[in-house]
Parts: sequence; C-alpha cells; structure tokens
Amino acid sequence: MTAASSAPARSPAWPLPRSAVWLWATQGLLGTLVWGAVLTAALLFLPTDDAPLSALPWAGPLLLGLYAVGSIAVQPVIRHRVHRWEVTDEAVYALTGWLTRTWTLVPIARIQTVDVTRGVLQQLYGLASVAVLTASSKGTVQVPHLPADVAERVAADLARRAEQVRDEAT
Amino acid sequence: MSGPALAAAPRRTSARIVLVHTVTFRQARQVLGIALPVGAAIGFDGGATAVALLAVAATLASLAFAAVSWWRFTYTDGPASVVVTRGLLARSTRTVPRDRIRGVEVEQPLLHRLLGMVRVRIDAAAGAATGEDEEVVLDGVGRAEGDRLRAGLLVRRSAAGPTPEPPAPPAEEVLARFDRRWLLYAPLVGGYLAVPLAALGALLRLVDEIPRGLRPEVDGPEVTGPAGAAVAIAVAAVLLALGSVVGAALVNWGFRLVRRGGSLVAVRGLVTRRHTELEVDRVRGVTVAAGLGMRWVRAARVNALVTGLGAAQRRGQLLPLGPRVLAEELAARLVDDPGPLRRHPPAARRRRLARAVAPGLAVAGAGAVAAVLAGGPAGWWPLFVAGLVLAGLGVPVALGRYAALGHAAGPRSFAVRSGWLVQERAVLQRRAVVGWRVRQSPFQRRAGLATVVACVGAGSGGYAAVDVAAADVVPFARAASGAWAGALEPERLSGGRPSPPRSR
Repeated sequence: MTAASSAPARSPAWPLPRSAVWLWATQGLLGTLVWGAVLTAALLFLPTDDAPLSALPWAGPLLLGLYAVGSIAVQPVIRHRVHRWEVTDEAVYALTGWLTRTWTLVPIARIQTVDVTRGVLQQLYGLASVAVLTASSKGTVQVPHLPADVAERVAADLARRAEQVRDEAT
Repeated sequence: MSGPALAAAPRRTSARIVLVHTVTFRQARQVLGIALPVGAAIGFDGGATAVALLAVAATLASLAFAAVSWWRFTYTDGPASVVVTRGLLARSTRTVPRDRIRGVEVEQPLLHRLLGMVRVRIDAAAGAATGEDEEVVLDGVGRAEGDRLRAGLLVRRSAAGPTPEPPAPPAEEVLARFDRRWLLYAPLVGGYLAVPLAALGALLRLVDEIPRGLRPEVDGPEVTGPAGAAVAIAVAAVLLALGSVVGAALVNWGFRLVRRGGSLVAVRGLVTRRHTELEVDRVRGVTVAAGLGMRWVRAARVNALVTGLGAAQRRGQLLPLGPRVLAEELAARLVDDPGPLRRHPPAARRRRLARAVAPGLAVAGAGAVAAVLAGGPAGWWPLFVAGLVLAGLGVPVALGRYAALGHAAGPRSFAVRSGWLVQERAVLQRRAVVGWRVRQSPFQRRAGLATVVACVGAGSGGYAAVDVAAADVVPFARAASGAWAGALEPERLSGGRPSPPRSR
C-alpha cells in the first residue's frame, strides 16, 4: 500500500515560501530555549538526590536535545513539505499539519470573513497568515506563513469575490 | 429616524413582575449571598424576633431591588429592531436588528402563570463578540403581549424579506404529541438521572447557607451490616429512578410539536410552560441521538440543527424523549432520509479495537514490567491483571463503536452516525455544507482510512464520518454537497494548474 493510494484527497497546488521553514525553525529554537531555561532552573533548585528526580540530570538534557533536533531541524522541513494551498475559481483549499494531515475545502460562496494576521516573528520574515472563516466553527481554512503582500492580495480578492457570489452563506 | 407611524412607543413589562421578583429574590439574590454570612458573623442572639426582623428587611430590600429594575426597564419592538433599555445609573441600551432574530421562546414559570404573565426570550444570533449574552429576555409581559411578540417578531421579518409571501392562514399540523408512557424511559437517560442529583445538590447548598445555629438537628438512619447497605442502595436506586421520572415529567409534560406556517412550535413543561418557535427555513438538519440505556429500550431524541441558534441543545429539541420509530419518522418529515447507512471498512473495526484495547494493554505491560523489576511477590501483579481486564472490556466497546459507524448520501441529504455511549445520527441537507475537512493521522494513513467532516453553520459546527475508506472520501463529499467538492478529486493532478500568486 503506497502513500499515494491512501491519500484521501489531492494536494493543493501551491507550496509555502521557503522562509516559512526558517520561521518554524525559529519557533522551535524559541521553544527549545524556554524548555532549556525551565530545565536549568529545575536542575539548580530542585533536589535531585531523591529517587523520583535522580534521573533528571541525564534524562533532562537528553530529552531537551531530542526536542531541539525535532523542533528545529525535522519538523519545519516536514511541515513545509506537507503544507500547501490553492485558490480555485470556486473554492479555497488548503492542506495543513505535520503528522496528522488536514485538508480543508471551502467554496467561495460560503465565505463569511477573511482575516490576515501578522505575528511578531512573521513580521521578522515578512510573512502573514490568512484565515478564511465560514458560518461553521469547524470550517475555517488556515493558510499560515504566506508572503505578506500575497496574503493581502489573496484576502482582498477572496473578500471581493465572496461578496459577488454570496448566497445565504449558511 | 423612522416616521411617526412606525415609531413604536417604549413599552414596560407588567408591574406584577415586581411581586414575582420580590418573592424569588431575583435581583436581591447576589446581595443575599453576602448578607447571610455577614448576619451569621454578627450573630443572631435575639432568637426568633431577630430572625423575623431579618426576613422582613430582606424582603423589603428585595422589593426595592425588584421595583427599581422594573421601573428602569423598557423595551420597544420597532419595525427594524427590538430595543431594550435598562439600568439605574448606568443606562444600557441593547438594539437587536430584526433580521438577526432566530427564534422566540415564551416560557411561563409557575408564579408567572398564577399572575397571568410570561417570559419572552428573543434569541439574537449575535456574533462571537457578545459571547454568552446572546439573548434578550423580556421578563413579565402579559400573556397576550407574549403571543403578539412571538408571532410578530418572526412573521413581520419574512414579510419584509426579499421574497414577500402573502400572509396565508397558518395551517397547523401536529407533528408529535407527548405520551405519558414515554416517562418510563427517563431512568435510562443520563440527563434525567442527573435531575434528582442536582436537586439534592441544590438542597445541600441551601442548607449550607443557613447559619449553623438555625439548622434543625436531624439524625440520619443507622446503616449497619451488608444487608443494611444493600437495602440503602436499593432504596437510593428506586428514589433516583422516581426522581428522574418526576424530573422528565416536569420538563416534558404536555409536549407538543406543531408546524404552523413556516415555523415549528414546541410547547412543553408542567410547572414552567415553555414555548419555542423555530423557522423551518433555517433548519439545516436533524440529529437522532440515543444513549446506551435508551437504545436498550428503543428510545431516542431528536434535535433540529438550526443556523445561528443560540443554546441549540435546549431550543432545538424537537422530541425530548420518545420511541425510536417515532423519532425516525419525525426526522424524515423534516429532512429527506438519504437511505440506509453504509458500513465502514474492516480496517475501521481494527482501528476501533486497537484504540480501545491499547490503554488496557499499556497498563498491563507497565504492571508486568514493574512486577518483574521489583521481583518477588511484590504488589504489582494486580495492576497487570487489572490492565488485562480493562483490555478485555475494551473489545465489546470497540465492536459497539464500530457498529455505530456509518454514512450515506442521498439525492437531497446525507447522514453520518457515530458514538457508543451516546450514538448520534446526523441527517443534513446538501445545502447545509459550508465546507469539507478531511483529517488523516499517521495510523489512519497506514490503514487507508480518513475522517471526513462536513462543516455546517448549525449545531456543533461539524459532523464527521469517522474512519471512511480513503478512496470513498471524495465520492461521499461530492454526493453529499455538490460538484464543487470535486476540487478534492486526486485525478485533477494531471490537469493544467494555475500558477501561484507571486510576491512582488
């Protein structure tokens, strides 16, 4: 059984920009730093002689190292390979996820609002996220980390087209 | 500003509501919570007179609170919106546009009924910004005024809508009527079993608030020996069952579901009469749900999935409790039946089994490892046995969960079913779908399965066909919604693809 045969839906056409990888890696680095600080504090202030915590001096750094490799080197690359998006004539389509994959398809006629958000890190890399919202709380298409100007253009275009073809939208 | 003919005058609620609110301490309740402990701290040395004085003072305070809030409360049902003004010092004005009104509910608690009043709840499907407070309550209007509001708020809007219809004489059609025998189902429904427990909890809390010195001394009956315990448990079980029947009777007495013109009207309740009105136009689907106990006696309940309806669990109830046959019949009258459900592939059963047995096996494994490491007759073997028992119990659960899975797509509607503790079948209209979401975990990928969720702007927001064969996902989505879902189709890979928008 190959991976292709068990994919339930096609991949959308467009990949995310390369800089998204760096953004995810930066997030992984920040997460590693936070956990490193927590571990350092634990090693400094907790008594590690007793039985339940005696493994901490060697297991802690080991786990932290694994987390660092996973979140900085492995996960961003896989995410970039998985994440894809596409806007067709009648729908918005995105594939997100890392291990568990989620395909979301929303017809343009059912779009209610389009949000563009730029986080602090995203601004550093000139990226922005687009969220396409519908009347359903589960029916939101998230496209993370697009180039900021592309995101703005796509959002404006979707909002305009949704206005034209909107039926009741619920 | 609207013209003089349209400018409706602000109305007040009935002054009799002051009486009700005084007796129920509606406004004074928050103050009472502070006053009682303070009083207890000061101490009631004066005995009975002091208690009587305190009661009088509290009642007077409650009267004052109730009177002020009645005096400062007005509402206006204008042609375009309903405006509610309230507040003593800080005036707050709430304006609800008429086209946002999704439902009107008229309820009549006991005191209201004695005084000939009703409470009107207007469900204003506000956005997420207002959060929890998305309904306007007009407490204590006359019965006739309540009926006028219920009929007027929904009707006038559709007349002003884009497709004006001639006001046809509303033909009534009774869709369901409560049968007293259905009350016997109540002890098997979790929700009704909770009613006597909740009542007990409320009683205990009340007792807790009474200052210690005023509490009556009650000795509990002595329970001794296993026979005594068995009797106590049996008595408790009988009381619980009786309590649930009484609770179900209180809530559902005289239930009637009527289709009147373009709306569904549900009436129910023994002490508090509740009158809920829903627009048929906004119904996107129904759910037929049955818990473990209910399935055993072939009972079910039916909920309507209505777009933009707040408190949907309570408001959308079409059949609170009844025989399954009737529930299915009612569901089919509102949404076309898409036909028999298709079973999910055997891989889905393997997955259910793996998921249900794994926790038990993990516990057993941990127990075995611990027992071996600890060595000797250590106390870890019971954990191993408990894990095995847990895993064994998981098997029937998994098979039940698998048996619940199913999906079907008909010409105008589709259905999905899942759940074991509470099995729910959702039947939705094709137009209800506002999007599709397909999820596949690594385990599902290996098993060639996927979960496909129909995103719907009503009810819980999404209804999932769990563990469908991956190859069936797109055909199902397409059959259940429309050609646009064909965008998921893997074949389109070969076609010419539009180039992505470029960054400038």
